[in-house]
Amino acid sequence: MVARTLKRAFYLIVATSGVGLVIAALFLLTQTVQKSDDFGRLQDLILAINIAGGVLLLAMLIGNLTRLARDYRQNVPGAKLKARMVGMFVGLAVLPLLVVFYFSLQFINRGIDSWFDVEVEEGLDNALELSRAALEIQKRRNLRSTEAVAQRLAMVTDRQVVFELSMLRRESGASEMTLYGQNNTVLATSSNSATASLPKPLTEEVVLQMQQARPFVSLESLGEGGVEVRTAVVFTHRAGRVQEARVVQGYYPVDDRLAAMVGSVERSFQEYQQLVFFREDLKDLLTVTLLFVLLLSLLAAIYGAFVLSRRLVAPIQDLVAGTRAVAMGDFDTRVPATTRDEIGFLVSSFNDMTQRLAAARREASLSAALVEAERTNLEVILARLSTGVLALEADLTIRNANQAAGSILGVDLEHRSGEKLVDVAKENALLDQFVDVARVHLDAGETEWREQIVLRGEVGRRVLTCACTALPGDEDHAAGYVVVFDDITALLQAQRDAAWGEVARRLAHEIKNPLTPIQLSAERMRHRYLHTLPEEEAQVLDRATHTIVQQVEAMKEMVNAFSDYARAPDIEIARFDLDKLAHEVVDLYRAQEREVKIVLTSDPTMQMVEADMGRVRQILHNLLRNAVEALENTDDGRIDVHVSAAEIDDVDIVQIKVEDNGPGFKPGSVSQIFDPYVTTKPKGTGLGLAIVKKLVEEHVGTIRARNRTEGGAMISIRLPLNEAARELIIAKAPGRAEKRREQA
Amino acid sequence: MRGAEFEARTLWRACGVLLTVLALGTGLAQDEIEREGYFEVRSASTEIVDGVHTLDSRLQLVLSSDALRALESGVTLTIELQLQVIRQRSLLPDDVEAELAVRYELEYLPVSQRYIVRNLNIGDQDSFATLYSALNSLGRIQGLPVIDAAVLAPDATYRIRARVRLNMQQYPAALRILFFWRGQWQLESEWFEWLLEH
Repeated sequence: MVARTLKRAFYLIVATSGVGLVIAALFLLTQTVQKSDDFGRLQDLILAINIAGGVLLLAMLIGNLTRLARDYRQNVPGAKLKARMVGMFVGLAVLPLLVVFYFSLQFINRGIDSWFDVEVEEGLDNALELSRAALEIQKRRNLRSTEAVAQRLAMVTDRQVVFELSMLRRESGASEMTLYGQNNTVLATSSNSATASLPKPLTEEVVLQMQQARPFVSLESLGEGGVEVRTAVVFTHRAGRVQEARVVQGYYPVDDRLAAMVGSVERSFQEYQQLVFFREDLKDLLTVTLLFVLLLSLLAAIYGAFVLSRRLVAPIQDLVAGTRAVAMGDFDTRVPATTRDEIGFLVSSFNDMTQRLAAARREASLSAALVEAERTNLEVILARLSTGVLALEADLTIRNANQAAGSILGVDLEHRSGEKLVDVAKENALLDQFVDVARVHLDAGETEWREQIVLRGEVGRRVLTCACTALPGDEDHAAGYVVVFDDITALLQAQRDAAWGEVARRLAHEIKNPLTPIQLSAERMRHRYLHTLPEEEAQVLDRATHTIVQQVEAMKEMVNAFSDYARAPDIEIARFDLDKLAHEVVDLYRAQEREVKIVLTSDPTMQMVEADMGRVRQILHNLLRNAVEALENTDDGRIDVHVSAAEIDDVDIVQIKVEDNGPGFKPGSVSQIFDPYVTTKPKGTGLGLAIVKKLVEEHVGTIRARNRTEGGAMISIRLPLNEAARELIIAKAPGRAEKRREQA
Repeated sequence: MRGAEFEARTLWRACGVLLTVLALGTGLAQDEIEREGYFEVRSASTEIVDGVHTLDSRLQLVLSSDALRALESGVTLTIELQLQVIRQRSLLPDDVEAELAVRYELEYLPVSQRYIVRNLNIGDQDSFATLYSALNSLGRIQGLPVIDAAVLAPDATYRIRARVRLNMQQYPAALRILFFWRGQWQLESEWFEWLLEH
């Protein structure tokens, strides 16, 4: 800010100096025009001032022009407008200046020419001729006097010559008279001045004239306007023994009045001739001076154009810069208001606009932040939801999906945004079935629908409750769809389990109680009447009661099994060696079932497992018994038992897998084999696998069953390795805890 | 018609003056104008007369047409004879020991139709019927005292040099610029230099 102020002050001083110099030069020029005597005296000063002012202005102009050209090339805002304005101002200034210059030039030339008049020139010539004529008369008279003196001196002896010369000088009216002999020697001289110096030798001009025996006469200037006539005459001196040539030279004064008039005429003529001689030079001089003034005025006008245009363009430049800043997103830009005219009003309006824009942007930013926060919250909620949410475009392109959607449908949808749902469905059978159902509704124009969908996959069937709704779009077309679906397979299973548990409890309660009196009654009847009846009838009774007792026992056994299924004792978690337990159970079955080959693969270094040991033993028993029973009609039956520990999804688990090479599960029954009374074997109650599933779920584990591709069935169980893993699983899937509690 | 010609001539003259002013200092104008006059120091020598070094010299003075026209128009020409006594030094630059300028005025008087040669230094003047005899007289320098021999160091070596030029100091500066631009007014001889015997 300070630097800018200093810069402005500097430019102001320089500009003021330049203008001051020009004004001073013009003032001096005016002075010299009025007093021509001062012209020569002030000429140097005028020239110096003009040149200094011109150089100063020229330097500033060059600086301004360079800056303008640079700004123009670099497309600096306002540069083009400034260039136009400078051009316009310069044009406006140049035209009148040139007109003034033209007429001034004519005025100067005509003014100077008017000084010279033909009549004046003729008058001066005539005066000069008149002066010459007047002096010529005196010259002739004086020459005649000198010739008369020469004639007299020719007969005068050398002894008398000084006296005679003096007398003759006075008689002739000469102011000085000198007699020269051979070799230009002075023989005698006479002067009317007592202080006269010695006479000079004859000049060459006189000597030459004398040698030719011709008289000499001339006008001699005495300085300060005075003139005298000089005459010289050669004569032969006859008064002596030898005749010799002698010269007498005389100076005659000219009448003072005539001399003054002649001097005046001569001075006037000379001055006029000088004026004539310098006329062209004077014109050139004045023209040059005028040109200097013109150039200075032009430079000052151009500089003034720069200053004016800069002042006019400056607020516009500020506005352009402000507009660009606003376009770049800087709404805090404020343009300084310097004037109160229309441009000032424009600047004020611009500032108001940017202020309002800034306020609007702040509000928009706040709204956007709120929306973003809401969106983030929604994403968190969607991510935590166990319900699958799938947002689709109108053309079934995936817009968004949460993690649960991918988990339920068995494919990662969360990271497939922008892809066609149909294309993604080709990779996954469950999703393909899901899309088929959805498309049936959507193709039919149903945008709002709800349906329970059963999907069939390798690991069994999966039941989904699905609801679709359209996203708000324009009047005719929906912007997209949101499909919300829930996996209710486990819920249905739990409901079935609960129903079967109730059935089992009622069976145990309603059937077991009458069985004992039936058995006791049958045994009493046998005991009382077996010995009393004839042999044949006794046999009948024996078989009948035996059958009753046997069937009652069977029913008891079945009721006990139901009771075991319905009644769940408290789970007792303890640390034990699963490898050892597996070996014990497998060894027992190897001993009993010689026809079946049972192979156990286990890790002896496996960590101790924290679980209910009795329930895990029952699981192993049930699985092996189920496999053995499945292999009853199979030659070379083989059972593979795998026991291992692993870490899946950061959770430590143990995995028990039992495979057989039997007939496998019936097609379509895989998803129902864990239901009570569902069996594919000729023997069995149908509760074995149902109990296994119940025990596994009590441990917050998972159980899967499927047919092997090479034949036979495979049941896989995963149990948490310890309490920590169990808690982790519960934290990830709270639903399992509910199921565990229900079953417990 | 005559007025239009005058205006055109005036404009052309203004343009010519402008262009010539722009060409000032470049020497362009000087080279293009033929020089008609010249000044030259033909010979020069010194001798000691009564303990004073006196100069005898012959100058060739030929006036240019411009100078001649100015003289006949009543302009007084000043012709200056410049003399410099220079002491030669071996290590240091040579030193100008003494300088002398003798100025002569040459004037034409229209009434008497004679040329006046005036020695401004001593105030003496002579008149001549012709310019030739005036210039001839002016160009014959005889017994001009230059420097007292006693002033000069006996063991030092001195050079003396002379030149003659048309002095224009009496004219206004602007006229001098115009005269400078018109090369015919640039009448100046080369330095004529010789050893001073003492």
